Amino acid sequence: MTRTNLNRFGTLIAFVVLCVGFSIASPTAFATPANAFNLVQQMATLAIVATAATLVMTISEFDLSVGFSASLAAVICFVLFGLGYDVWLAVPAALLVGIVGGAANGVLVARFGIPSFVATLALGTILSGFAFGLSGGQSLFQKVPDAFKGLARGDVFGIPVLGFWIVLVLGIAAFVLNQTEFGRRLKAIGGNAQAARLAGLPIVRDVIVTFAIAGGLSALAGLLLASRLGSVQHTMGEPLLLPAYAAVFIGTTASPTGAPTVAGTLLGVAITGVMVNGMTIVGVEPFVQRILTGVIIIVAVLLRRVGRAQ
Amino acid sequence: MVGPNGAGKSTLIKIIAGADRPDAGEVLVDGGPAHFHSAHDAYAAGIRVIHQDAPLVPGFDTVENCYLGREYPRRHGMIDRAAMRERIAMVARDIAPDLPLDVPMMFLPPAERQFVRLLRAIADKGRILILDEPTAALPAEDAERFYDVLKRTRDRGTSIVLVSHRLDEIADFCGRAVVLRDGRIVARLGAGEVTPEAMIGAMGGSAVERSTRATDTSAPKVIEVEALVAGDLTRPASLQVHAGEVMALYGLAGSGRSSLLNAIWGAIGWTGSMRLMGDAYAPRSPREAIARGVSCVPADRHRSGLFLDQDLIFNKTLPLLSSYRRIRGLPVPHAASERDAFLVAAERVSLSYREPGQLARTLSGGNQQKLIFSRWANRHSRVMLLDEPTEGVDVMAKATIKDIIRAIAADGNAVLVSTSDRDEALELGDRIAVFRQGGIVRIFSRAEASAEALSAAAQSREAA
Repeated sequence: MTRTNLNRFGTLIAFVVLCVGFSIASPTAFATPANAFNLVQQMATLAIVATAATLVMTISEFDLSVGFSASLAAVICFVLFGLGYDVWLAVPAALLVGIVGGAANGVLVARFGIPSFVATLALGTILSGFAFGLSGGQSLFQKVPDAFKGLARGDVFGIPVLGFWIVLVLGIAAFVLNQTEFGRRLKAIGGNAQAARLAGLPIVRDVIVTFAIAGGLSALAGLLLASRLGSVQHTMGEPLLLPAYAAVFIGTTASPTGAPTVAGTLLGVAITGVMVNGMTIVGVEPFVQRILTGVIIIVAVLLRRVGRAQ
Repeated sequence: MVGPNGAGKSTLIKIIAGADRPDAGEVLVDGGPAHFHSAHDAYAAGIRVIHQDAPLVPGFDTVENCYLGREYPRRHGMIDRAAMRERIAMVARDIAPDLPLDVPMMFLPPAERQFVRLLRAIADKGRILILDEPTAALPAEDAERFYDVLKRTRDRGTSIVLVSHRLDEIADFCGRAVVLRDGRIVARLGAGEVTPEAMIGAMGGSAVERSTRATDTSAPKVIEVEALVAGDLTRPASLQVHAGEVMALYGLAGSGRSSLLNAIWGAIGWTGSMRLMGDAYAPRSPREAIARGVSCVPADRHRSGLFLDQDLIFNKTLPLLSSYRRIRGLPVPHAASERDAFLVAAERVSLSYREPGQLARTLSGGNQQKLIFSRWANRHSRVMLLDEPTEGVDVMAKATIKDIIRAIAADGNAVLVSTSDRDEALELGDRIAVFRQGGIVRIFSRAEASAEALSAAAQSREAA
């Protein structure tokens, strides 16, 4: 294996090593079908939020509102349930709020030129205010319609439903980024926005659409989380933000130019997911888990840089 | 020091600056052998290499930038700002008395920043300066001011090695010249011998060859511009370009020639009226311009043209991506058609490359420029807009690019070439519109144009 290949597949190898290591350390608890099922369920919402982050990072922007969008969507959905509306109205309405919020991010960034870091932080804070207000700061335990429970719970032929969501969402995102004209334009905008504009690309529109998609995906992740847990809190999406970007950054170490990719992001999600799951099983204290996860991210990116320098 | 890209200039500079070791031979300083083991040794010997885009700290002023990496004078343990300023001011008085010392870099124009780089190099006992393309990013009038400063630096007793593609500047400024080609010195020109013709001859290029074609006024007018005002173009400008004609737009940077191109390209707002093939034409974005058969190679390929971390096919097909679909209604590019189109286009612009999948950043400057030309090589454009198409490109690539430009015109396009290079305007332009201070001063026909007449028109102060 050449050095380039080692750099490229190093992250994948690290993932395999992790899995093998935990399997040896705890063959009866880690390497079981039940745990694999569990792992996929734990990873799904993060994978979808991280995909949203990947799209936005492809155009060299940040979206810090992803977690807030997820919370707000879940809250809106449950509030609508409480008012007696059914799934067919509540879920599209919640997704729409996410898309509109994302589009608003895009407008602030593309039309008004506000740095995305600032715009999405501000808008995310506004969204979280709405989530707080609508939920009254309480946990919501509505009587949830069965159709909504089915979104994220249970399995088909032994494969968790959330696994299908991962395949569906990430599959479409990868196709869009790698195969379509839209995806090509996003890479161009991320690579050199000025050149993209002078090459005739509809930048303002594409940036707004990208943020809207990110908002919609975040809302979807919030709904799936709500479906799985059966209850909603107005802060439930916030812990997704940092792990999502951690996953994207780990994923960039697997791409030749250091650009974010959907496949890389999935790998990043899987690595962080397996780390947390495996360490919990072998009995590592939660505080140590966090420290180790942070160390892993630094090491991954450092190894990548050493590889590239050579 | 002159020579085409890849001639060995950079290697020679690195060796002199101690960054590279020679395989054989030695560097002599003050007549004695200097054994540089690192760039630090060369620095200690007073050698300073000044790169055109050497980083300055944007929030620091001139004095602070000149003291970067040096020991600060101290007084009572505190940094003695007054002493710093006094030492820098002493040198600045000699070479650039008008340079502001207390203004952060971010508020200084590019030419002044270039003075700061120079000042920094000599303020800390630099006595041998190596300048790598110091005026490449400067408009002509700023370049003149730069050379005034450089002359005063020279007159203080500083030795200067100047590396530039701008041969006329070398001829004006330098007492001697060495010409490199293919890793060796092919000519040493002494006092009185440093002329552009001699240097081009030694590099293997041909001397300026002027366009001899006359404008075919019976050919249809492709693009007509009436009373156009846009960006730097503050006085209403009008011109028409015929099919098959090359119109050169000559003037200093900021004289309005680039703004005219950008307006036709739809990249900036404008007022006035335009017609394309006799029909009303009012582009509000490059997208609309492309749809109407207008093509453009923008100035400053790194900032405005290329996607350096993407491959050659990506860079080539991007602006017309929707013409490579396999299924018409489905916005999914077809890799095989893209590749075929790239191969045809690469051939047409004589691009030299290893493989279509290599990254754009791995091409030389000339080939990067050809790559941008290749974007439009598969379609029949009506208007081709070229902004400084040979900037920062070596002599050989320049010749190829000029051939490409003539071929585009011969194909029946109306070509507008904006340039700050007078010889290039003479060489390419069937007619030459001279810009000064935001307006067209005069449009020369082939027969009327001469180097002297163009310079006079571009720089005269009266007749606004």
